[in-house]
Amino acid sequence: MSISIKQLFGRKPKSSSIAKQRLKLVITQDRLEQVDDRVMTRLHHELAEVLAKYFEFSANSVKMNLKQEGNSYILVADFPYTKFHDVNVRQ
Amino acid sequence: MGRVIVVTSGKGGVGKTTSTANLGTALALLDKTVVVVDADVGLRNLDIVMGLESRIVYTSMDVIEKQCELNKALVRDRRVDGLMLLAASQKNNKDDIQPEQMKAICDKLRTTHDFVLIDSPAGIERGFRNASAGADEAIIVTTPDVSAIRDADRIIGLLQNARIEPINLVLNRFSAELVGNGSMMDQDDVLDILNIDLIGVVPEDSGVITSTNRGIPLVYEDGSPGAQAYMRIARRLTGQRIPIPDFAQKGLLNNIMNWFKKKK
Repeated sequence: MSISIKQLFGRKPKSSSIAKQRLKLVITQDRLEQVDDRVMTRLHHELAEVLAKYFEFSANSVKMNLKQEGNSYILVADFPYTKFHDVNVRQ
Repeated sequence: MGRVIVVTSGKGGVGKTTSTANLGTALALLDKTVVVVDADVGLRNLDIVMGLESRIVYTSMDVIEKQCELNKALVRDRRVDGLMLLAASQKNNKDDIQPEQMKAICDKLRTTHDFVLIDSPAGIERGFRNASAGADEAIIVTTPDVSAIRDADRIIGLLQNARIEPINLVLNRFSAELVGNGSMMDQDDVLDILNIDLIGVVPEDSGVITSTNRGIPLVYEDGSPGAQAYMRIARRLTGQRIPIPDFAQKGLLNNIMNWFKKKK
């Protein structure tokens, strides 16, 4: 008896929860893809331009990515720098 | 100044036209003045769903081409006071209309009516952009299935970018039985995914098919669950606070299931 109850109510995940799970994944992906590559490239150049005033870094080492955490989307940008221009000293 | 609301969905066949027809009629039954606008140029259907197909003389295209005055192009629904239809041209296509031209029509209609409801075509292309050009609010219609919800999310993004708000959700073709046995997502699941406000849940109702066959919107024959749901949504649109009933028979079924789970 206990086995059949498990089979009926416990074991098999409901198709509605599978639907929800799949949708959440695919919609996250859809939303991330809507920020297209051109926008990211432009943002990359603009950020690099500003940062170049303070840091020295090689353009190909820069990594920019979008990711999701919970309900919010996060832009992660890595600008590994080799040198810090001390603006105060130069002045 | 009246409110211009675009009724849209992304995916086709989820009940945009049925919802536009019923909400427009319901608002008129609540003594509001309403124009329902078919924005599906080339594939018009709002006229036949409302039972007004034999009375169309002019379309929005004729207004744009200055073949007739806007007022003259409106078809009066004789069954209720204050309800008008502006039909779409069937011989043109969506590229023949510019978003600004639709906006101009909406802006004019809102000066004389309380509500302008726009029935949007499916898709995210030109037809959708024309339909939403003059809107300041949106109603998204979706069914509780993966493809409709995914497309709804895409449309929500586009509406948000266009600064159209509020965006309210109508969850259509909801089956309490399927939700009860775990085969259909319930309203909480859908809202968790889409993250917008719910304005109503319309239960699956075979009356929709027969009313469409006859060309008599469901809300004329109150009584049916679908008609009651649309009337409630219309009241909420006018600002009345009416709770959304819990259609899922969670009470009975879930209690039994939970009882079994505990036993295990």
